[in-house]
Amino acid sequence: MTESHDHVTCQEVVELVTDYFQGALGPDEADLFEQHINFCEGCNWYVDQMRTTVAAVGRVREEDVPPEMRDRLLAAFRDWKERK
Amino acid sequence: MPQVQQDQTSSAAAAQEAEFLARLRASDEAAFESLVESYHGTMLAVARNYVKTRDVAEEVVQEAWVGVLKGLDRFEGRSSLKTWVLRILVNTALTRGGREARSVPFSSLAPAGEDEPAVEPERFRPPGEAFAGHWNAYPGNWSSLPEEGLLGRETLDVVKAAIEMLPDAQRSVITMRDIAGCSAEEVCETLELSEGNQRVLLHRARSHVRAALERHLDD
Amino acid sequence: MIAYKFLRADGTSPFTGFRWELPSGAPGPWVDAQIEPCRSGIHALRLSDLPLWAGKTLWEIELDGDVVEQRSKLVASRGRLVRRIDAWENEVRDAYTRMCADRGHELAESVSPPLENWAAVIEPSVREGPALLGFVAARIAEEISGPETYHAERARQTAWLAERLGLEL
Repeated sequence: MTESHDHVTCQEVVELVTDYFQGALGPDEADLFEQHINFCEGCNWYVDQMRTTVAAVGRVREEDVPPEMRDRLLAAFRDWKERK
Repeated sequence: MPQVQQDQTSSAAAAQEAEFLARLRASDEAAFESLVESYHGTMLAVARNYVKTRDVAEEVVQEAWVGVLKGLDRFEGRSSLKTWVLRILVNTALTRGGREARSVPFSSLAPAGEDEPAVEPERFRPPGEAFAGHWNAYPGNWSSLPEEGLLGRETLDVVKAAIEMLPDAQRSVITMRDIAGCSAEEVCETLELSEGNQRVLLHRARSHVRAALERHLDD
Repeated sequence: MIAYKFLRADGTSPFTGFRWELPSGAPGPWVDAQIEPCRSGIHALRLSDLPLWAGKTLWEIELDGDVVEQRSKLVASRGRLVRRIDAWENEVRDAYTRMCADRGHELAESVSPPLENWAAVIEPSVREGPALLGFVAARIAEEISGPETYHAERARQTAWLAERLGLEL
């Protein structure tokens, strides 16, 4: 935080945004964050960029299991089943 | 066979896990296959946190599943099934790796922003100046971009490439949290991270991906 | 108790996007929320908080249930919009912005040598509106005389708003 505890800078905001999304900022800090994005167009856009980024990451599909691996795992499963 | 949903509420997820567990114990092959598919991305990302190459990571994942089957009868359900599977995975990675494996390198974990700022300091007014710390020039307004650009194939490729380039620990956390939908607690338990460290890693990972997206969209 | 709330032009909250049912004639319906610090609750403002949160439209809100006082806002478990403060419209918003800009210049020139680098930010910021200019003026005050004057400048802004909007101080 800057020396003053009554406002945050843009440089601080870009470091606080993840904590803000997670509700991990204390009440006063969250207020300063919100007051800042209320008056600062640039930071408002930045926070929006981060939201968009998280949404984009969320659209990355989970990796598929390679076919050879699936075959080996099924073989291991059947083996385990036999021995039970 | 529905995939295990990663983003359900915890009670729905717990119920679904209980069902899969019962079916596994009853040797239901389809349940096993579904579980393997569902956890694969996460397990790969976690494994790559500990071993050097993707190929080795895949082998570790494979070995972990064998370990899961072996230990299935002894699983008491004190943790969630997913957490238990991931713990076996981590132990497999550490055991198997020998010199290759390493614990997550957190010794140089400086407070967020110190050595890895989310945005280059040059983009802000310098210290000692009027309105120090404020933007020199505002970043872009992405909400004014056409949606197709943000939702398209190209954007997804940029995001994937950016994630691939992340340091291992950051990649593990962002994959578990934002792709696989694991909770912060699950990530902390699996990777043995404090809540604070987990947030720092997630923050850095997301910041890198944002920067990559920005470079792509500004072109 | 009576408090205030800024909303976007479309009646949504600027931070949560929550859509309030807007009163016309009679107060709107009560909205209930669980109070969880930083996570949920009805946010509302005392008069002294207004300059910190200046927004597009201003409303009178009635609070009920539990009301928690924080440093720069109130959090309540129950609230309903009572009426719009119609006086907070384009002309008055612009006048307020201009007032803050003029104060910024006045303050910057009140010292020797004048704070030219600080003053240079003022006019380019005017198009961004009252919230930014309120901050700029208070920040310049603080630069000259320290953190207390940041709050003193905010109090001046509150007094101006109370007077122009016909709100009881």
